[in-house]
Amino acid sequence: MTVPPDTLLDPGPAADPAAGPGKGRGARRPVLRYALAKIGGAALSIGMVIVATFFLFRLIPGDPAIAYTRDVPLSPEQLDLLRRQMGLDKPLMQQFFDFVTRTLRLDLGTSYEYKRPVTELIADRVGPTLVLVGTGLVIAVSLGLWQGTRAAWNHGSRFDRFSTGLSLVLWSVPTFWLGLLLLMVFAAGVGPIPGIFPTRGMEDVDAPGGPLYLLHVAHHLVLPCLTLVAVVYAQYLLVMRSSLLDEIGQDYVTTARAKGLRDDEVRRRHAVPNALLPTVTLVFIHIGFVVGGAVSVETVYSWPGLGLLFYEAIKGPDFAVMQGTFMVVCTAVIVMNTLADVAYHVLDPRVRSA
Amino acid sequence: MTRMGARLAALGLTLLLAILPATQALARKAPEPGKKIVRLGVTQAVDSMNPFLAVRIVSSSIHRWMYGSLTTPDPKTLQPSPDLAESWETSDDKLTWTFKIRANAKWSDGKPVTAQDAAWTFNTVMTVDAAKQANGPAVENFESVTATDDRTLVIKTRKPQASMLENPIPIVPKHVWEAVGDIGKFENDTSPAVGAGPFIVAEYKKDTYVKLKSNPGYWRGAPKIDELHVIFYENPEAANAGLKKGEIDLIGRLAAPQFEALAGDPNIVQWNTQGRRATYLQLNHGAQTIDNKPVGDGHPALKDPKVRQAIHYAIDKKALADQVQSGLAVPADGSIVPPMYQEFFWKAEGDDLVTHDIAKANEILDEAGYKKGADGVRTMPDGKRKLEMRFSIHTDTPVEDKIAQFLTGWFKEIGIPLSTRKLDANKFTEETGFTGLFDIAISGWSVNPDPEEVLATHLCSRRPTASGEGGGTESFYCDPEYEKLYQEQLSELDRPKRAEIIKLMQKRLYTDAPVIAIYYPNNLEGYRKDRITSITPIPEDKGILYGGSGYWPFYSLDAVAAPADSADGGSGTGLVVGVVVAVVVVGAAGFLLARRRRSVADERE
Repeated sequence: MTVPPDTLLDPGPAADPAAGPGKGRGARRPVLRYALAKIGGAALSIGMVIVATFFLFRLIPGDPAIAYTRDVPLSPEQLDLLRRQMGLDKPLMQQFFDFVTRTLRLDLGTSYEYKRPVTELIADRVGPTLVLVGTGLVIAVSLGLWQGTRAAWNHGSRFDRFSTGLSLVLWSVPTFWLGLLLLMVFAAGVGPIPGIFPTRGMEDVDAPGGPLYLLHVAHHLVLPCLTLVAVVYAQYLLVMRSSLLDEIGQDYVTTARAKGLRDDEVRRRHAVPNALLPTVTLVFIHIGFVVGGAVSVETVYSWPGLGLLFYEAIKGPDFAVMQGTFMVVCTAVIVMNTLADVAYHVLDPRVRSA
Repeated sequence: MTRMGARLAALGLTLLLAILPATQALARKAPEPGKKIVRLGVTQAVDSMNPFLAVRIVSSSIHRWMYGSLTTPDPKTLQPSPDLAESWETSDDKLTWTFKIRANAKWSDGKPVTAQDAAWTFNTVMTVDAAKQANGPAVENFESVTATDDRTLVIKTRKPQASMLENPIPIVPKHVWEAVGDIGKFENDTSPAVGAGPFIVAEYKKDTYVKLKSNPGYWRGAPKIDELHVIFYENPEAANAGLKKGEIDLIGRLAAPQFEALAGDPNIVQWNTQGRRATYLQLNHGAQTIDNKPVGDGHPALKDPKVRQAIHYAIDKKALADQVQSGLAVPADGSIVPPMYQEFFWKAEGDDLVTHDIAKANEILDEAGYKKGADGVRTMPDGKRKLEMRFSIHTDTPVEDKIAQFLTGWFKEIGIPLSTRKLDANKFTEETGFTGLFDIAISGWSVNPDPEEVLATHLCSRRPTASGEGGGTESFYCDPEYEKLYQEQLSELDRPKRAEIIKLMQKRLYTDAPVIAIYYPNNLEGYRKDRITSITPIPEDKGILYGGSGYWPFYSLDAVAAPADSADGGSGTGLVVGVVVAVVVVGAAGFLLARRRRSVADERE
């Protein structure tokens, strides 16, 4: 077995964190500098997102005033008024300048469709999205990591082939299709299978109050969450499986076995903690996307989250809302990426020494 | 550990199975016995609860249930009938309208409805820009609106306005709205909102539902049902499933495939009636801006009325209605006003009627000098350009794809090869609405009981501005005869005479063919007959339930009352099962913990 030279020098995760070149008291400052550099980079990225957003959404052809009032009879005077209200009568650079200054004041404009500030609309929708995608992510990560670990430890086994195969099949399935299928079977009911789940939304009229409300929402959450988990858990499974497979061949694992440790402990105490590192990054990046919601799932199940808001804005088209949601999602991804960088730095001494 | 995992999984599954029936029992709190509730499914979210801002059908429907207007369409004839105004008269110069506000109408807070409320509402729309969004055009011709006393409202117009009695503006209570401040920012989402319509909003949950309760003080008498729930579905398939399952009782505005999917269910009535929409082709007959400057790249042959007429003859409207709309549409033997509006609908007959006749189409083109080449393609009379044309449709619309296939086949037979251009909605609106970059395009319009606004979309003044901004034209049409007729009907207050003029306008559009109507899609709805016992459509003879004008269908609704035995049974059982589940969960957790301790202890030994 050939081992890359740098792995030979690898002190391993259990090594003293001060072993890096920083050493002693000096080690603090590089961490701070590192974090500041990352935060600066993130701020720059967010700035670029703001600029790009403005021009990107101006590339969409058509006159928003006309598109918005399709099938609503308006006289030319009224259309002019609408354009003035939308600020479309000003020169492009003026519109851009207004946009940037407003955005920096955290004012994302007013929705043409809903006639409300975009920040309010987004605030209304964040809760349901966090409930849906947050729950889905927790389940998907636990399921993926658990199956990935088992699949790698017994790689080549029937369990490995089955779980990896199944997760890949589900991953390749279009989300809206799987969602509709589950809805038709478990919400509408097919043949002997009763439709035991609701066909829409997060709650019904006259939902019970108090703790029963949570159960009510949980009942509505089952199908959307199942769809989401089915489609995304494969990534955690695969990353976990491949990084654990990498670790299995390492010398420290052999050493651990040679010490006479039980198979269980070799896996839990030595191999898995090391294999977890790449997965942590993946999870962090995904938390960023959580904010974006799952557009398809929310659309199929009429879940009143950010994804549905974005979808409706595109249908509108409601530029202010599209821009607003787009920027919020981008910002969340950038922030989470930065956090992932910093967390990685803290978790893995190898990054610090690099 | 592996055994442990398996045990965990088994336990989880058992728990899940235990919880399912419990949550299902909790899915719906059982209504009070004897209560009549109707749940309407809609595939559109409410855009605003403020009637000055809302433009979506769902919102304006809700506003019609919450508030009254001056008049409302009569459910039998669709003609204006008294609502909050009990009578009206016009001055001899046709410029002054005097409405008498009914004395027995009350706001839901007990205060009387007065002419001051109506005057304040109209004046707000006239003077506050932000308040124009929903119904700005309805007051454009108003000179002044005043209340001369509590019961008399005087509206003065600049020019005579025959459509005055179709004014759709919901009248709001002045004593509540005066204190609002910025109308453009007011959401009107606190319940109960004060209104004078048949229903009062009891609860509004954004993007989820609106719960309305019957208004006991309504001047016509309270509706027969107690509650009307408007439930939002983003996904039409899910709404269908909800209707079949009984989560909702009625859905309107269905597409043909959804409607067909409801067939065979013994509890569901498939409500298939004539609709308020016309689907038509728009022909680029030489698009111009408002200052008569040509724009776009329409095929020059389309400037010739003969070519447009030949194209009309090439279309088999019956085949399109049968095969594209599965027979759920009426072939158009008229123009842009559908036959549902009997009073205004113009039907082509005799020499005017254009039928599917390829030979005749070829004959017209031959006579006009468009010769067929060896390849079967016609050229312009000067021989310079072939009659190759584009057909613009929207992306992702299977119906329009099918229309394109049929047209391509027929047009080939008359020597006009047609290529299909699929455009996303924005690009489509731009090219067919103001830049004129098309030859033939698909289009359609939903018509209100008064067809004035759809007729106005073919006026010269609606063409794009000189700077290229859209003015709302549906055809780039600018025809002196049509303009003259439009002005005439505006000031013709005699209804039958006005209807005649409006028919002449449709005839002009039919024969000159800037647009060619192909069919009138039916209005497709479905409702549960085991829940809804009676409903009056508008118009009463095979009319629309949801999305039509006025409030009759939902005011007249009657439904099955909630049975007495399900009353506390549902939530009671739910509670019991919930407690059982909780006990099981706690027990299982304790058992697991105990086992885990023991296994840890084993390891330590």
